[in-house]
Amino acid sequence: MLTVLCLALSGFAGAAAYFFPVVVAGVGQTGQTVVVPPSASPSPGVKTTPTPSASPGAAFTVLLLGSDDDSKFQADHVLTQSMILVRVDPASRHVTMLSIPRDLWVPLPTELHCFVGYSAKIDAAYACGGPAAAIATVQRNFHVHIDEYAWIGLKGLIKLIDQLGGIDVLVTNPVLDDFYPDDISGGWLYGAKRVAVLPGAQHLDGSQALQYVRSRHNDINGDFGRSARQQEVLLAIKAKASTLNAADLPDIVNALSGEFKTSMGLDRVRSLLGVASAFSLANVQQVVLYAPTYTYYPGYYISGQSVVLPHWNQILPLVRATFP
Amino acid sequence: MILRRVAAVLFVPLMLGFGSGVYLYLGTLKSKVVKEHAKLPTVTKPKFQLPGTMFVVQEGRLFKLSGGNFTEIGPAGDWSQPTLTPDHTRLVAVLRGGASSDLYLMDLDGQIIKRLTKNDSRILGANHWAYYPRISPDGGSLFFSIDNPKLVSNAPGVDLSVWGMPLNGTQSQARRWTDPYWYTGGDVSPIPLAGGGLLYVRHSIDPSTAVHAQIYYQARPFALGKPLTSAADDCSEPALSPDGTQLAMVCSRGKQTAALEVAPFNGSALGPAKVLLDDGLYAAPAWSPDGKAIAYLAPAGDAGHFQLWYLALPPPAPSPTASPSPSPGVSPTATPHPTPTPAPPAPVQVTQGVDLTGTSAPAWY
Repeated sequence: MLTVLCLALSGFAGAAAYFFPVVVAGVGQTGQTVVVPPSASPSPGVKTTPTPSASPGAAFTVLLLGSDDDSKFQADHVLTQSMILVRVDPASRHVTMLSIPRDLWVPLPTELHCFVGYSAKIDAAYACGGPAAAIATVQRNFHVHIDEYAWIGLKGLIKLIDQLGGIDVLVTNPVLDDFYPDDISGGWLYGAKRVAVLPGAQHLDGSQALQYVRSRHNDINGDFGRSARQQEVLLAIKAKASTLNAADLPDIVNALSGEFKTSMGLDRVRSLLGVASAFSLANVQQVVLYAPTYTYYPGYYISGQSVVLPHWNQILPLVRATFP
Repeated sequence: MILRRVAAVLFVPLMLGFGSGVYLYLGTLKSKVVKEHAKLPTVTKPKFQLPGTMFVVQEGRLFKLSGGNFTEIGPAGDWSQPTLTPDHTRLVAVLRGGASSDLYLMDLDGQIIKRLTKNDSRILGANHWAYYPRISPDGGSLFFSIDNPKLVSNAPGVDLSVWGMPLNGTQSQARRWTDPYWYTGGDVSPIPLAGGGLLYVRHSIDPSTAVHAQIYYQARPFALGKPLTSAADDCSEPALSPDGTQLAMVCSRGKQTAALEVAPFNGSALGPAKVLLDDGLYAAPAWSPDGKAIAYLAPAGDAGHFQLWYLALPPPAPSPTASPSPSPGVSPTATPHPTPTPAPPAPVQVTQGVDLTGTSAPAWY
């Protein structure tokens, strides 16, 4: 009896050692507490209290945030180059993704006190007040309730895709850029380099995938085209991640060390990985707020910045329909 | 008592061993996608022996596949997109540098004969990308896509145009054939035709802001191009059969999966396309030397690495009648819709464990 107990203990110790990085990351990077500031004048139907956890099996909405996090920026004061609202409905196995243009000029929560007049590009909300500010800004402007958030840095995206062994993407048209930021290779942080991602189905490693989702200077749809590419890569990551199992988690966690954090607890992350394999592309709805239907370029600078202005009368019905 | 102590002492390493064993065992349970790394083609043996000789690319290295064996050719560098001269005695391939790419003429063992273009510059914006080399059927001209000129009037425009130059000449003799739809990436995959015209893939945008790929026919430099496929079909990666009567292509229809299709071609128009394979990530079709089969690249297995596949073709369809051609810039009025056909033979996976470059079509003779 004692022999069996000792062997069980030693086996448990071996398993604990194997999953130790996951436990450490689970404590440090998941379950991040977010207190979304209450709105001074809440819009009808908008919940602004701290985000409650949805019941197991219920649909939930995650705000995905992607940032430049090189040394141009102070830690956790980074712009969010990518903001994607994702609604996951485990019951119907339906996923909706809505990309928010990073240049969208919106009022930020007044309590942030970061900007004169309290309006700014929406990508500045995170830099000003972290995930809580980003969530509050999206909730108040888009009239949608956000249950969770997940943030990943550029280097984290590269490492994640490399750890997955690359992803398969069908590149629709050549992505060429003479002004691609050369800020993560260790050189001058404000330098540029040329990139060329050729069209066609191909296997991309992390660096190539980052070039594909980050380049925007030669895209006729500008940031909107980039948003569409980001959704393609997200789906490719999802497709690849669905082949993972629990034994892969320590390597994934090591790759994302310091480059990922989320409000989701381990239970939800685990359930999300579980349902990810059950979704098919046919059940994924992709939405990009293209100009001129949903947004428009004003033709002038605001506060010295090139911005995109919203057609809320077009956006809000769309959001109501896709994020009920 | 002593016996118990001895047993206890012996049991400690057993526990350590068991715990370590559990740790190591869990490591073996990792999925293939995390563990599997692509092998060099030269250390693999194709599962199926192709007729003739083929050149393929993996991670910037050129490989010759002949007699069921891979051989690496060419000097070190980031090579891609090999293409054969019509007499099958030489290759032209792309060598990519950090900010530019150039075309090189080489023999079939990868020995460089001549550098054909010079696109590098110390000024970042003065560099150019040259891709998609293809030699005319008479062997006299080299066609390729290059991001020249660049649009500098407003936002920086870097789009590929199709150019042609004498294969034995210099880049200064190159002449531009196409004017791209700016900010879409431009025109790619030129195929010079025996009659002097050109097939290529044009990228453009529709009123809903979606970017499409269409296969175009153009008779002369800067002549009005004629779309042979509809914008909605998103067809690209054309490959002309050795006798010039059939065109293989990959059509994605706005999705992240594609169909591999073949359509009869009469020199300036396409007939109804047949869908050979659908709903996959098909890339880089290439015709067999006898025109009776197509090789292509597609992922196999969880790792998603691209392998070489072989597909024997059903008998060819009749040549197209002189159907009305679509107007330039719009969806064709007489789109060659795919027609249902008997199921073709199943594709055969040729390679295993490699990761061939999906944007480099095999050169096969």
